[in-house]
Amino acid sequence: MSATLKINGTEKTFDQGLPSTLTELLAQLEINAATVVAEINGDIVERKNFAQTELKDQMAIELIRFDGGG
Amino acid sequence: MSALKIAGKEFDSRLFVGTGKFASNALMARAIAASGSQMVTVALRRVDIENENDDMLAAIDQTKYQLLPNTSGARDAAEAVRLSRLARAASGIAWVKLEVTPDPYYLLPDGQETLKAAEILVKDGFIVLPYINADPILAKKLQDVGCATVMPLASPIGSNQGMKTKASIEIIIEQATVPVVVDAGLGAPSHAAEAMEMGADAVLVNTAIAAANDPVEIAKAFKMATQAGRIAYETGLASKSTTASASSPLTGFLRNE
Repeated sequence: MSATLKINGTEKTFDQGLPSTLTELLAQLEINAATVVAEINGDIVERKNFAQTELKDQMAIELIRFDGGG
Repeated sequence: MSALKIAGKEFDSRLFVGTGKFASNALMARAIAASGSQMVTVALRRVDIENENDDMLAAIDQTKYQLLPNTSGARDAAEAVRLSRLARAASGIAWVKLEVTPDPYYLLPDGQETLKAAEILVKDGFIVLPYINADPILAKKLQDVGCATVMPLASPIGSNQGMKTKASIEIIIEQATVPVVVDAGLGAPSHAAEAMEMGADAVLVNTAIAAANDPVEIAKAFKMATQAGRIAYETGLASKSTTASASSPLTGFLRNE
C-alpha cells in the first residue's frame, strides 16, 4: 500500500509501504543516525527513541544535524 | 592572562571560532587547532537526504572544544527556541548562541525577539549567549534575565569591517556583570586586539579566518592578537598626551648650541 511522508519539506511516496520506524527510514535513506535529531509533526524525537518511533502516513518529518556556522 | 569564566566553566582561550565557510572539514579542524580556541560555534541544518555528506561534528573533538550551537536562520523568538531545543536534543548540551536575524541583507539581530527567546530559554535551563546589536540597554536587560554573556556585534556578520560600534561596546563593557564577547565583523587580527584592549572578555571570529588565503596561519594571528589585546588590557597602557614626550634623552646631542 502506498503511503507518503513529508521529509524536510519534500513529499516522498513509499509504494511498498512505509518503513515501520524512524530507524528504518534513516537506514533506507542511508543516513547515519548517530548525529541526527528528528522532529515529527513539530515534536522533537531524540535519537534514543528513533527505534521506538513508529511512522504513519502523512507525517511531517524533519531530519536535522549540525553544520558549519558562526 | 586570567582565565575566562562563563556559566562556571573556565576557558584559557578568549578567542571563539565559528565553523562556517571553510573549504573542507579537515582545513576547519586545523584552523581551529591553530587558533587555540576552546569554544566553537556550529549551526543546525536539514540533512540533505539526496546527498548524504560527512558529518562535520566528527571533525571537532568535543573533549577539547565547548560546542556552541547557534540559532542562525531563526527569524523570530519561536524559531530560535525551536532551534535551541533541537540543538540540545542533537548534542546533549544546553549552551546556545542565540541569534534572531529577520533581515538576510544585513543580518542585524532583532533585539525584542532575542530578549523574548532568552527569557524562555533561560527558564528552560539553557546557557544563553545572545548575539545583539551594540545596544547597552538591551545588553543590560539580557543580563538581568539570566544570560551567561552578551555578544554585541562589531559590524555586520561576515563584513570584516572591524569595530564600527566601538563607542557603544565601550558602554556595554563598562556596565556588564557578565562576560562581553565581541562578535561579528572582526576582519583582521588588529580588530580583535582592539576589542580586547578595550576590555572585551572574548571575541568570536569566523569569516575572517575561514575565508582567508590561509585559514591556519590567520587563525594563529588571531590567537596572538587576542592574547596581546587581553594582556594590554589587564596590565594597562601608558597614558596618552597631546604633545610629544621624548623617548630618548634630551641631553648630550651631537651639536653645538
